[in-house]
Amino acid sequence: MAEVHVIGQIMGATGFSESSLFCKWGVHTGAAWKLLSGIREGQTQVDTPQVGDMAYWSHPIDLHFATKGLQGWPRLHLQVWSQDSFGRCQLAGYGFCYVPSSPGTHQLACPTWRPLGSWREQLARAFVGGGPQLLHGDTIYSGADRYRLHTAAGGTVHLEIGLLLRHFDRYGVEC
Amino acid sequence: MAAGGPSVFLLMVNGQVESAQFPEFDNLYCKYCFVYGQDWAPTAGLEEGISQITSKSRDACQALVWNFPIDITFKSTNPFGWPQIVLSVYGPDVFGNDVVRGYGAVHVPFSPGRHKRTIPMFVPESTSKLQKFTSWFMGRRPEYTDPKVVAQGEGREVTRVRSQGFVTLLFNVVTKDMRKLGYSSWPADTQSNPGPSLPQGTPG
Repeated sequence: MAEVHVIGQIMGATGFSESSLFCKWGVHTGAAWKLLSGIREGQTQVDTPQVGDMAYWSHPIDLHFATKGLQGWPRLHLQVWSQDSFGRCQLAGYGFCYVPSSPGTHQLACPTWRPLGSWREQLARAFVGGGPQLLHGDTIYSGADRYRLHTAAGGTVHLEIGLLLRHFDRYGVEC
Repeated sequence: MAAGGPSVFLLMVNGQVESAQFPEFDNLYCKYCFVYGQDWAPTAGLEEGISQITSKSRDACQALVWNFPIDITFKSTNPFGWPQIVLSVYGPDVFGNDVVRGYGAVHVPFSPGRHKRTIPMFVPESTSKLQKFTSWFMGRRPEYTDPKVVAQGEGREVTRVRSQGFVTLLFNVVTKDMRKLGYSSWPADTQSNPGPSLPQGTPG
């Protein structure tokens, strides 16, 4: 079986209008992939930047997969939330990106989006907070029911992901 | 040695904690330590260190320079738990107490060669304004009991932090026997060189 190590960090986020941000992340893989070690999902700390406008999380990711096939390559899905001084959390954006497929270290910039509601909901969000959220988290990384959504852009999440592959050349895989 | 070849690979890291940018603070020193998984063991070099105290330069870039050496070699059977370097920066506050100015962590790069990393440094925040004032007054700021928490992902969802500076690190990485064990850590088109870790330059 071939093995893949995903070792890196969710560095932080830029471009969001709110400043105290945290990120819930997870990795979704196909049926041929098995997680041997590591934690598949998590939540970062809440950061309020003092210098500049990038919220820094430096959240480590260390995953070890064994795989029998190339289908279902791992995808990282992210939900960025903001927390205000009262401790209430509000959705700032959803995003996903595929884990890179060539070995080495990669800098990724994952764009995010958030669902827009009706004009009433948008007005309420501006004054009171809240706003629509997805019922099923898998819409973030699958294209299946996306046509129903009307969304607006959020900021960008920056990741530095390194990939270590093992025995891929034994199976003739070029990457 | 088993007939199949090596079962252990080595990772040699050297480099330096070069400098820091902390716009609001001065007279800082840093401590570093390495955090690694269960399959890893350091075989040579120092796992921890404390640097000198440095002051800001007078020119426009206001750099805090440590130029503090890092040198360690690990051996492992499994890349899971790849070593991370955890940095903690401390400095004096208004009353002269030593308080923490930032924690940060980054994985040691895994492709051989020279790498520069600039990492953000953050401190835990007090939960209420009263606690913030008390900790400022008493000189006892919120800090982690064990800085190694910064290198882990679990348990961070309840912490609130403030990022307030950056530290620049330089690494030179050399690995041994990773390719023999079947790992590839750099893209295939540069694998035509027989040994990128040879000390003499490689031809072509």
